[in-house]
Amino acid sequence: MLLTSLLKKLFRLDVCAFLALGGGSLLRASDANWFVMDGHQSTIFTEGPVAASQTNLFFVTCWVTFVIFIIVGAVLAYATVKFKARSEADEHAEPPPQGHGNPLVELGLIAASVLALVIIAVPTLKAIWFTYDVPGADTKAKLEEMIAKKEVYEVNATGYQWWFKFEYPTEQATVPESGGKAPLATANELIIPAGQPVRINLRTIDVIHSFWIPKLAGKVDMIPNRANFLWLKADHPGYYWGQCAEYCGDSHAVMRFRVIALGPKDFNDWLDSQLQPARNVASKTAPKAQLAAWRKPESFRRNESGVTSKFDISPLDAWIAKQSPEGGEDPELIAKGKALFQSKTCVGCHAIRGHGAQGVTAPELTHVGARSTIAAGLLENNHEQLQRWIHNPGVVKPGNKMAKGYIDNKITLTEADEEALVAYLESLK
Amino acid sequence: MAHDTTAKSDFSPHEEHAPAKTFVLWRPHAPTGLMDWLTTVDHKKIGFLYGFFALIFFLVGGVEALLIRTQLMFPNNTVLTAQQYNTMFTMHGTTMIFLAVMPLSAAFFNYIMPLQIGARDVAFPRLNAFSLWTFVAGAIILNIGWFLPVDRWGAPDGGWFGYAPLTSKTFIPKHSIDFWVMGLQLLGVASIAASLNFIVTIINLRAPGMTMMRLPVFVWMTLVTAFLIVLSFPAITIALVELMMDRNFGTNFFEVSGGGMPILWQHLFWVFGHPEVYILILPAMGIISEILPCFSRKPLYGYPIVVFSGACIGFLGFAVWSHHMFTTGMGAVATAAFSMATMCIAVPTGVKIFNWIGTLWGGHLKMSTPMMFALGFIWMFMLGGFSGVMHSAAPADAQQQDSYFVIAHFHYVLIGGSIFALLAGIHYWFPLIFGRKVSEFWGKLSFWVIFVGFNVTFFPMHFLGLNGMPRRTFTYDPNMGWNTANFIATMGSYVLGLGIFIYFATMVYTYFKGEKVGRDPWDGRTLEWSLPTPPPEYNFAVIPTVHARDAFWYEKHHQEEIAKEKAEHAKEDEAHGGIHMPFASIYPFVASFGLLILAIGATVFDSNWSPGIHIKLATVLVGGAVAVAGIYLWALEGNEGYHLHIEGDDHKSDAKKH
Repeated sequence: MLLTSLLKKLFRLDVCAFLALGGGSLLRASDANWFVMDGHQSTIFTEGPVAASQTNLFFVTCWVTFVIFIIVGAVLAYATVKFKARSEADEHAEPPPQGHGNPLVELGLIAASVLALVIIAVPTLKAIWFTYDVPGADTKAKLEEMIAKKEVYEVNATGYQWWFKFEYPTEQATVPESGGKAPLATANELIIPAGQPVRINLRTIDVIHSFWIPKLAGKVDMIPNRANFLWLKADHPGYYWGQCAEYCGDSHAVMRFRVIALGPKDFNDWLDSQLQPARNVASKTAPKAQLAAWRKPESFRRNESGVTSKFDISPLDAWIAKQSPEGGEDPELIAKGKALFQSKTCVGCHAIRGHGAQGVTAPELTHVGARSTIAAGLLENNHEQLQRWIHNPGVVKPGNKMAKGYIDNKITLTEADEEALVAYLESLK
Repeated sequence: MAHDTTAKSDFSPHEEHAPAKTFVLWRPHAPTGLMDWLTTVDHKKIGFLYGFFALIFFLVGGVEALLIRTQLMFPNNTVLTAQQYNTMFTMHGTTMIFLAVMPLSAAFFNYIMPLQIGARDVAFPRLNAFSLWTFVAGAIILNIGWFLPVDRWGAPDGGWFGYAPLTSKTFIPKHSIDFWVMGLQLLGVASIAASLNFIVTIINLRAPGMTMMRLPVFVWMTLVTAFLIVLSFPAITIALVELMMDRNFGTNFFEVSGGGMPILWQHLFWVFGHPEVYILILPAMGIISEILPCFSRKPLYGYPIVVFSGACIGFLGFAVWSHHMFTTGMGAVATAAFSMATMCIAVPTGVKIFNWIGTLWGGHLKMSTPMMFALGFIWMFMLGGFSGVMHSAAPADAQQQDSYFVIAHFHYVLIGGSIFALLAGIHYWFPLIFGRKVSEFWGKLSFWVIFVGFNVTFFPMHFLGLNGMPRRTFTYDPNMGWNTANFIATMGSYVLGLGIFIYFATMVYTYFKGEKVGRDPWDGRTLEWSLPTPPPEYNFAVIPTVHARDAFWYEKHHQEEIAKEKAEHAKEDEAHGGIHMPFASIYPFVASFGLLILAIGATVFDSNWSPGIHIKLATVLVGGAVAVAGIYLWALEGNEGYHLHIEGDDHKSDAKKH
């Protein structure tokens, strides 16, 4: 067929990539510190094939509309200037010829618009199928085979008001409490293997959320009673910002998360440590220097940022540093924290494998000390921010269930209690 | 002017006719004052009231917008709490769409459309009053939450799109969502009643010779919009009824624990919601299609194509709703289909822009303020249209959906489009409606301040969206690269607010002190300009006969022929008993007032405590009874009227009263 061969030629030209290159260079050149487009959630500077295909398509639409804008805008500007009445006399002169239009001109313009849209439509269709599911996984059986062969890595993500739970269905962690095994679960920081397609099954426990990591892939919603999914691939190891993109109630704005892509060895090391039950601290370690200056939770302004710019310089290194135990661990203090975790009803909602906590409605904390952020990507995971969070979660994240769970139930924590709990949580590497 | 109050409504006294049995409790006769406004059935007064209420809510929505921008001026700002911010964006959207732009369009439909087709009123004058007062009732219900405690009532905070299951009782147990549901329901009743009225008016009350293809484009767009409203509002009505049942009577349409399907809400909402976009923009396109020919002194270029593309947009508008749902996982085929359908809609929209430029081409462009706003409209709408094409490419939209890029897009369409056109329309028709002309200096100043402020506010939002800032977020961290653009946008919004203030201050000044003008100040082309300013209550002393598309332009260039024709028609009219005018009536207002009481009962009172449920039931029943009584008495009083007699056969002289 003539049409098919034409289309194929068009594909071979790869208009898409060609135009995208131009568009990318234009935006990069306009980097005049005014609208710098390289933020943590930039959709322009992408780091994976799915996001790249979406951005390339965006540039196609950009260029086509830009050319039309230049042409139509020039004609409009010309007509406005050329036919403007210059004087009072001009305004009252004999009216111009009362023409009603020209069908040929009209048809020509309609045809031109349709043609311009075809230029957009072809790469659009191509990108719809490319971004929809992992390439090659045309059927469910094929996908399962690819997952079994570890060509595709599978993760389940579940949205909660206002945090994300991540589950690794192919990794079985031991649960000492029951003596059995369960899929590995974490919260708010999704660790994936770099360079490998990852298929994420999207679920929600309550309202509609939307899963969005701009640098890796456009968003897909998490809708009750719907089995949505997306796929993505991180081109190289890195630390990526994500955020809920569907309004989901009071604290929608602070429902964030991170994705950390690791090389094959790092990823396996991480899995090995995560599959272990929670860590116990037996002996005192050398103290950390900066512990003295500890900001009181009350000194934080409402909405005050919980991340420092220092963290941004090398977030992946900051995350890696969190993987090994910090100095200054005090077994007595940690033991006190562990007891408080039980007695102050934290265990009702949170799970810590091996420490007798099996709650399911809140983020799993078995290895919370090894995460770079807490409170759904909102606060950096350090002494101050942990205490700020535990002190009054309702101020940090309005309407959240932890505030309802213990502050509204008149369960109180002294400052010493808070410090013990923080020391305990930090020890959970 | 003689009031011949015994005359019946039929126009031909020669025909044998049994008089209809009527039951009249009270006929209001107030010529001015509050009672006149409450009982009027004059389409011009109703149109004025629509405009008056719409502009008040436009200012309310504007203040909400400024609060939103103030909160986002700096990262981690604390002007509003999360809850207040969520209420603000919900009410800003709902107010601007349902209480500002739609009723402002309705104001023009009411006031201008009958004049343009050479009619003396709309087809159902009392239904028209009912639409107006029901709209006011809906507006009150939507906003009543501002005055009640936030813990159990409060203003709606579920987003203007009200996605289930967030809006279900499980997640928002307070009454704020009930206000939203019931308010929109009442506004739907008002809109559908008004639209049926406009459709019947345009089909049946056109002056002789006003064929469909001679209708001014604004009337065509009114007709298309009215059909869109009649066909799309039932979808949201059903969705709202289902949500109301879920919230109050334990059904499971969207209740996940009971097997409900939240995605159903999105389909129903957007089957309404997308045509709604065209309900907001088509009237604007109609206004622009009136202003450009007038100030170019040329007929509209390609009239049939402009009309057909408007109708085409109306049809296609029903086939693209799922492009609001590209991220809901519809599957590749559905996504592709809606993506392609959405691209198609760019063609008739583009055609309109080509034809507007064609209208300018070869004209004598007079750069008055309405023309400035109209040209501003073309530029801004073009930009909004282009970002719309970008969204139609579904994979690109996966990045843009629910980001600030979308906010930039639809504000370019709705402010740069709808609002610019409506401001142009107010300026254009002000001399007709109030007999005074707005100062060109202050008009142009307000245009430039609005134009600059608008672009400074919304252009940076494209970049914010591409840089990953999601919408509906009350706060953001300083390390995301969004600080500068947000600050600039907020400064722009203050300039925009200043421009709107200058515009309305000028209008208020002109209303009281403006320069008086006579008939036809702009050298108009359509029939409304043949009338004295302001038009008399009967509009046309003699119903005009239409010979060409730009009817008044033709009259002005064939004066002798038209004068002869008018004189003959005036005689015929007088032989039929004079000009028939409908009686004023209080019952439409009573019926709407009943609906308001009913809605207050259904939303404000709690059914969880013992006296609450009884008060609730009692209020609902009383409100329902008042509404039914109003409608019943309205039906019983019959469609009677009185006759006016006007001396003199020259239609151009003001009617002499005797």
